[in-house]
Amino acid sequence: MRVRSWAEPYKIKMVEHLRMTTPEERADAIRDAGHNTFLLKSEDVYIDLLTDSGTTAMSDHQWAAMMLGDEAYAGSKNYYRLEEAVQNHYGYKHLIPTHQGRGAENLLSQIAIKKGDFVPGNMYFTTTRLHQELCGGTFVDVICDQAHDPTSDYPFKGNVDLDKMQALIDKVGADRIPYLSLETNVNMAGGQPCSMANIQAVSKLCHANDIPVFLDATRAVENAYFIKTKEAGYADKTIAEILLDICSHTDGCTMSAKKDSLVNIGGFLALNDDALAEKARNLVVVYEGLHTYGGMAGRDMEALAVGIGESVQYDHIRARIGQVEYLGEQLIDAGIPIIRPIGGHGIFIDAARFLPHIPRDQFPAQALAAALYVDSGVRSMERGAVSAGRDPETGENRYPNLELVRLTIPRRVYTQAHMDVTAESVVHLFKHPERVQGLKITYEPEYLRFFQCRFEPIADDSILASE
Amino acid sequence: MKTIIEPFRIKSVEPIRMTTRDERIQCLKAAHYNLFAIPSQDVMIDLLTDSGTGAMSSEQWAGIMRGDESYAGAPSWFRFRDVIEEITGLSNILPTHQGRASERLLVEVMIGHGDAGKGKIVPNNAHFDTTRANIEHSGCQTIDLLTQSGQNPAQDAPFKGNMDLEALDQLLASRGDDVPFVMITITCNSIGGQPVSLENLRAVRALCDQYNKPFILDACRFAENAWFIKQREAGQADRSVESIVRDMFDFCDGATISAKKDGLVNIGGVLLFRDRQLFEAASNLLILTEGFMTYGGLAGRDLEAMAVGFQEVLEEDYLRYRIRSTQYLGEKLLEAGISIVRPAGGHAIYIDAAEFCPHIPKAHFPGQALAVGLYEAGGIRSCEIGSVMMGEHAHMELVRLAIPRRTYTQSHIDYVIEIIIELKSNASALPGYQITEEPAALRHFTAKFAPIS
Repeated sequence: MRVRSWAEPYKIKMVEHLRMTTPEERADAIRDAGHNTFLLKSEDVYIDLLTDSGTTAMSDHQWAAMMLGDEAYAGSKNYYRLEEAVQNHYGYKHLIPTHQGRGAENLLSQIAIKKGDFVPGNMYFTTTRLHQELCGGTFVDVICDQAHDPTSDYPFKGNVDLDKMQALIDKVGADRIPYLSLETNVNMAGGQPCSMANIQAVSKLCHANDIPVFLDATRAVENAYFIKTKEAGYADKTIAEILLDICSHTDGCTMSAKKDSLVNIGGFLALNDDALAEKARNLVVVYEGLHTYGGMAGRDMEALAVGIGESVQYDHIRARIGQVEYLGEQLIDAGIPIIRPIGGHGIFIDAARFLPHIPRDQFPAQALAAALYVDSGVRSMERGAVSAGRDPETGENRYPNLELVRLTIPRRVYTQAHMDVTAESVVHLFKHPERVQGLKITYEPEYLRFFQCRFEPIADDSILASE
Repeated sequence: MKTIIEPFRIKSVEPIRMTTRDERIQCLKAAHYNLFAIPSQDVMIDLLTDSGTGAMSSEQWAGIMRGDESYAGAPSWFRFRDVIEEITGLSNILPTHQGRASERLLVEVMIGHGDAGKGKIVPNNAHFDTTRANIEHSGCQTIDLLTQSGQNPAQDAPFKGNMDLEALDQLLASRGDDVPFVMITITCNSIGGQPVSLENLRAVRALCDQYNKPFILDACRFAENAWFIKQREAGQADRSVESIVRDMFDFCDGATISAKKDGLVNIGGVLLFRDRQLFEAASNLLILTEGFMTYGGLAGRDLEAMAVGFQEVLEEDYLRYRIRSTQYLGEKLLEAGISIVRPAGGHAIYIDAAEFCPHIPKAHFPGQALAVGLYEAGGIRSCEIGSVMMGEHAHMELVRLAIPRRTYTQSHIDYVIEIIIELKSNASALPGYQITEEPAALRHFTAKFAPIS
């Protein structure tokens, strides 16, 4: 059968104007922002690849759903519709909506983790680990070694290493492991999937030791697509079937609906255990809102219910990942060092190899993100030492194996031409990487420093030397 | 006074499903007699709360379409920030997903994490349920220092939300070191939406200066409070609402706002500080549980809707309609001999359930009995504010009929009045209730009840 290209299964219904800027304006803007792309005004950004979180274009059906919002404080009909969508597509019994993913992480950490516990996970995520640490838990990375090697093209780099998991159980005992945090399409590894075989095996191991498995289902649909296209025996299954299959091996999930589910705001905790759900419902009202809205407007629950249904359509997810691959392949063809294989939600540039002249303590990924903005107005995100923060014990910088710049593709927002501009700019910088210089920190907050940290260039005033 | 017509017309409607008494009896059983557990489509007139239930304007909906969903630095954020700064004069502004998140962040930065509040005490004119829960969650005590008239529901006084200045002075003199900050709720929700005067705010500010304490406003209904000041306080009649609002905020060092009330939106909140350091500490925590500081866990479109809503709420025609329509309900009930908290508050009418159901002792929750009775009789959902919600802190046994903003018409309110008057004539048939199951905190949301036959 002839494989056709990934043309979008939609046309554009509403547009949002972009402002063009000059390189001089951008050089001033990045200086004002402390060389942190988080602190740029979005108005000064041309192509915003900071995150795929909440930046989606909703469909006409979702906008119609926005008009069906029932804003009753208790028992809104949108809640029941959302509950049904989550039960149908994720398969868990109880739904507790939250205003976004970190609200769900906060709830799960608080109801499950005791001081002194160890929480294994397939690579850390910034907010997830911090919630675990604030509850007195210690995060333990149990992802397979291939995930830490940017050059490995192992197809399921999100997999849990069963030996590492077993070793943790042997070392600390199953009763000090409240749950395994299993992330689908592991973000910090480059949007890399887990295989169904691995999900089954790790769940079996955990359940044999009475350790529940909680899915970070944020990009589970994208993971399901990779299982369908890469794992033997799944080619004929639908995305919806595979998603349900993934969830069926686990005990619950936290969800930032701002990714897979095609909405701008929303999240949930879903789980099967009645007693734990009761605990979560009593807590959600303290932090988020009553358990039938959890801090979401009724209209946003309705848009989410519709978005979940759209997210599992094969044509949608194929175009979504097809667009990411389109950008990635252009960069690979130009010899740019990116994480292989290409992940689900973005392209992750290996900044350490892109800028070999900048030492790790001068934050090459942060520098590359700032320089890319100055060159073309493309906003990307550092995912390296700045994001990893400091060790809570020693106060030293943590240097993860991966020093990355993430070009995250919002869903249904940018066109092929936008991808071309992005690729051209990265390729252009790569021709003379020595134009980019390292950075030093001038302000650093206590938690999640990458959001608000400020930097200045080591030597010159300008992050990117002129040509 | 002549009829006050709404300064708007209807642009979009939401059908109400009519139910029969038999259907409602079944709904009550399924909900274990907790009105929070009833699906909203089984409710005909929903007066459970005025929080997030208002109708937005066409301008706000236009803002919804204009929302920029960029994760960081969206124009929607800057528009929102500028409006809040202009209204309040405070420039350290954080958006939150709703008011309780603002309260939680306030507690974390001004009291501390974990049980840092042990041995401390926070005074308020009267704490509202989520405020109290958030403060007590830190181990800190709460105390209500209401003026005398505020504790007497039958007494008609212009500013029953005022703080008892003598009691505050005594507390600060005797336990000053234990007080992390002084708080005032405007308007005072838990005693009937009663306003606080500028004079009282000024005096509280002076005491806070004397004892060197930060002064925090719970400013959810700041515009309604300002309208009452304009109507009732000497020398204020000719001033603009904007300038009165500005005076109110000028007294404080910070404020929490649930924008779901006077922000005229369905979701959103604000946390404000005068002090830059407190703001930065709160920003770090905001990122952890809410979202990045330029969106705070809201969609960009919600920031736009707030920016418009906070301006619309200050329009005098709106405030006149808003307060007058609440008073209308109150006057009709008083004419029918039904005891309500007097005078009528800004956002709600509070029926004195102890007097409505004199045969039901406090231990059997007369407020719950009346609220359940109203639902069964007319599909009206109200909210108990008494011993179920407040536990031993309950000053009174009240049922709150909260009026969503710009949502119901006079004929809806006339229907509510008819149902209440009918129910009054047969009040002795209402049973009391007992709690069969309750969680550790904020029990009114999820507790289960059974009637006492």
